[in-house]
Amino acid sequence: MMRVATLLFIAVLLVGPPAMAAESVSATMLLESPQTFDGQQVTVAGELIGDYGHRDDGTVWTQLNDDQYAFSPLRDGGRLLGGNVGIGIHGAADLFDGIDPPGRYNRAGPLVIVTGIWRYHDPDRGGETYLEVGSLEIVRAGHPLNESVSTTTLLLGAVLIFAAAGALLLARRR
Amino acid sequence: MLLRPTTNDLRLIAYNVARMLLISAVAGVVPLLWAVATGELAPAADFLVMIGVFALLGGIGVALKPANDRLDWSHGMVVVALIWLVVPVIGAVPLFLSGNFASWLDAFFDAMSGITTTGLTLAQDIDHMASSMILWRHILHFLGGQGIIIAALSLFSGAGTATLYFGEGRDDRIYPSVRSTSRFIWLVAIVNGIAGILALMLVAYLDLGFGFMRSFFHAATIFMAAFDTGGFAPQSTSIGYYHSAPFEVVIAVLMIAGVMSFGVHFALWRRRSVMGNLETKTILFTFSGTLVLTMIGLAAARAYGSAAGLGRQAFFQVLSAHSGTGFSTIPSSELATWGGLAFGGMTIAMALGGMASSTSGGVKSLRVGLTVKSIASQVKQVLLPEGAVISDRFYQNGPRHLTDEFKQGVMAISLLYVALYLLGGGIGLAAHIPLQNALFESISAAANVGLSVGVTTPAMPDVLKITYAFQMWAGRLEFISVFALVGFLWSLARGK
Repeated sequence: MMRVATLLFIAVLLVGPPAMAAESVSATMLLESPQTFDGQQVTVAGELIGDYGHRDDGTVWTQLNDDQYAFSPLRDGGRLLGGNVGIGIHGAADLFDGIDPPGRYNRAGPLVIVTGIWRYHDPDRGGETYLEVGSLEIVRAGHPLNESVSTTTLLLGAVLIFAAAGALLLARRR
Repeated sequence: MLLRPTTNDLRLIAYNVARMLLISAVAGVVPLLWAVATGELAPAADFLVMIGVFALLGGIGVALKPANDRLDWSHGMVVVALIWLVVPVIGAVPLFLSGNFASWLDAFFDAMSGITTTGLTLAQDIDHMASSMILWRHILHFLGGQGIIIAALSLFSGAGTATLYFGEGRDDRIYPSVRSTSRFIWLVAIVNGIAGILALMLVAYLDLGFGFMRSFFHAATIFMAAFDTGGFAPQSTSIGYYHSAPFEVVIAVLMIAGVMSFGVHFALWRRRSVMGNLETKTILFTFSGTLVLTMIGLAAARAYGSAAGLGRQAFFQVLSAHSGTGFSTIPSSELATWGGLAFGGMTIAMALGGMASSTSGGVKSLRVGLTVKSIASQVKQVLLPEGAVISDRFYQNGPRHLTDEFKQGVMAISLLYVALYLLGGGIGLAAHIPLQNALFESISAAANVGLSVGVTTPAMPDVLKITYAFQMWAGRLEFISVFALVGFLWSLARGK
């Protein structure tokens, strides 16, 4: 299922990005050469993560990750492949209307393709770096991630707690 | 003749370490309850195992209480060094079981980084990490910063327990009794905690637009990391995640509160001025100096298009470095490009560190001030006529004499920090890391800062992970307890 979603996602990204003038880039490219893309329209694909910060000015701030975990979450059988790679994104609140909650421990956030202007050290925002989103397309809806509780771990924990209680009782008697 | 420790010595050490393990077990209940409340059941099971190990070892150790439980200096120092090793070893258990770490060494590295209030991390996919696991990492900051031993001293009394307090690298004695001093330190933490969490929550809720519970979660975790100058953050992009100047202002205030010694907190509570203190003057001077250096470096590189941007970013990064917190509003890949004066400013800020008896690391401002004063006195001695007597005095909560013995102690610890910085830098170089990055990361680890230029990753060689973990431990304890433990182990092996 995950593989199909990922392939579909990549296909959409390659074949039909919403704004043809924008250059398709990764978050890694933006972070490693932030100046190169300053003021340019770019398209980035990834998972919305963390929180949707609804500001008073009618905009939303959130984070877009395009690391491997965005496509293959650990709790969906993904492997450990290093740290997260993400960028801050900012856009009008109506872009996020009705969108699934962002990714966290117990859920994968929506996979989206966003197109916007890359702002590097924006002088109007105190030197912050982010993507000013103009359009947002949902490629895969967010979904819950199942956690598996290990019976062995639970049992081991219970045994240790009982043993500790015994040791503490013994210490108290002495 | 080197004397082998007796059974009573071993039982005494085990008993005192055990008491701290029981406190750690109680601390572990907080993330367990959070995990259950938020439906994170797999992490809840992981915490159960950790609490069980803490409590079992604690129970066994307490049962070993010897008849004579008076701690002397050497016992106290060994106990402190062991606690700061054993707690991260066990505290790493849920981290390892979480699946966010590639190996137990990585999980141990994170736990050591947490408890030493460093903030370097080898965690993977933090953005999908269980909130209870994130909370535990921050509680480790709080335990280390406030810390475990202070908690124990507040609760337990016993002959010789003052050695534990001093063994942790603290030398402020606010009240005549260490127990009262410990309680005052907790009072400071609680008052700052309530004010800090409320302020952060308000900004998160009203300005950032987060929901109520998420505002609380971000506020609580960021408070623990800021006030205890730790540096872990709930999201992978650190403080850059929030994109909010008001949020950064509150964090900056908390970092400043964290970098102040508890003696300064006490003086401020009593509305006494601390501006005459050598330490206050030194830290104001070094902070201003490193900030100016960094700003000149960034301006020369034309890194920012506006003075406001340059000022905001440089101020936050330098304050984070000088206070030993390790928060950042820019990615590590960008920090790695800061060369020249900006690199110099940041590195010096990290190496010098905050105030003595605070939660920050590094050489510490009082030592820096005293070192400069000692050098000035030496120069004066040379310039004055032979036989002239110079009285070295300084002001630190009252006039004090700068004796030769005091000078030697200050110089020795300062030199040990320099040696520790160089040791990590040298091993980094041997691991084929460029000099500038190797030095930056080594100082960041040894001074318990936590800023990274991208060297600290799960892919770095194990030898570097072990080196940085050792640096965090030795730097946090200010060496003496570490030497005491080495001496103790030596006497255990070779004593008669």
